[in-house]
Amino acid sequence: MSVTFAIIVGIAMGVVFGVALEKSRVFEPGIIVGQMQLRNFIMLKVFLTAVATGAVVLAALHGFGVVKLYPKAALYYADVVGGLLLGAGIALAGACPGTTAAQIGAGYRDAIFTLFGGLAGAVAYGYAEPMLSKTLLASGGKIILSDLVGIPYWTGALALAAIIVAVLVALERARPWRDELGDDVDGDLAPPSRARRATIVPAE
Amino acid sequence: MSLTAKAWSPYLAGVVIGLLQIPAFVLIETALGASSSYVTVGGLIAALVDPSASGIDYIAKHIAATGKNWWQVALVAGIGIGAFVSMRLSGARRQAISPIWARALGSASPTKRYAVAFVAGFIMLFGARIADGCTSGHGLSGTAQLAVGSMVAVAAMFAGGIATAMLALRRV
Repeated sequence: MSVTFAIIVGIAMGVVFGVALEKSRVFEPGIIVGQMQLRNFIMLKVFLTAVATGAVVLAALHGFGVVKLYPKAALYYADVVGGLLLGAGIALAGACPGTTAAQIGAGYRDAIFTLFGGLAGAVAYGYAEPMLSKTLLASGGKIILSDLVGIPYWTGALALAAIIVAVLVALERARPWRDELGDDVDGDLAPPSRARRATIVPAE
Repeated sequence: MSLTAKAWSPYLAGVVIGLLQIPAFVLIETALGASSSYVTVGGLIAALVDPSASGIDYIAKHIAATGKNWWQVALVAGIGIGAFVSMRLSGARRQAISPIWARALGSASPTKRYAVAFVAGFIMLFGARIADGCTSGHGLSGTAQLAVGSMVAVAAMFAGGIATAMLALRRV
């Protein structure tokens, strides 16, 4: 695989990814912070649908021997500590590493600061890695849930997809997605009067 | 599924994103991910300022001119292009800062929001690199591959996100 080919494929895939993130509104800070405050569930809907779709696709591709799997090693301590920090960052950024790019593309200026903070954080980790790798990142195996249960990957992946579909049907029944978009499709569900009160100091 | 629509069903968008695993696995022989591209770009910038940075194995591995490294940088750049095109086609223009931040931060000051965004980005990527993946690499790809470590990372990510959004931010 040449680097040029990889870049062309990457840009083409990224454009599709970016359109899907923008159209679903999941890149909106209002949707992401709303999800973390358990007031808006569009992020979970997009996320779980993408996981289920990926699981079905990989069940087929791997089941028929077209592709190998590339799971990451299970490093439980690093997964928990890193995951907690990642989540805290996502809540305060109102974005994740991928949606930061979508926010910049859609015109959010604060996302440029998120991007530069992210680049600085990634470099800081690079400097710290030789030290951290000896302690926090003890080596771990590539453990797959279906192997633990003793079933083929494709069976486990289809089971996961089926469970997710059931969860999404229930979630959509409880919280219809159209009601979670907000008037300006940014996940801002607050009535205008409340928004005004937050920015204007009331007179005595 | 019109490109001029301001919003699609989250389920339609989720299916489109999930289908992107096909070219990732078949053409690039990897899974969807986003956060290592920050090490590639950040590492190249760091190496300009501090040439010894490229002597660190972790940074050297990420700034090497390999297809996988540059595919992911291109993917993240493409996300920005795709979101821009989608926004222009639908006319869903955004203000410089989402209106939710004035409430969430209790302040309408852009400076405060920019400072919080920078620190948040730093924590987000530092955490993602410790965990070796983000919402895409662990969340979308790891979970779909039934990777146990990824499921632990995703649970921790939501736990950290929910705790921070409830305790450090005001209700949006």
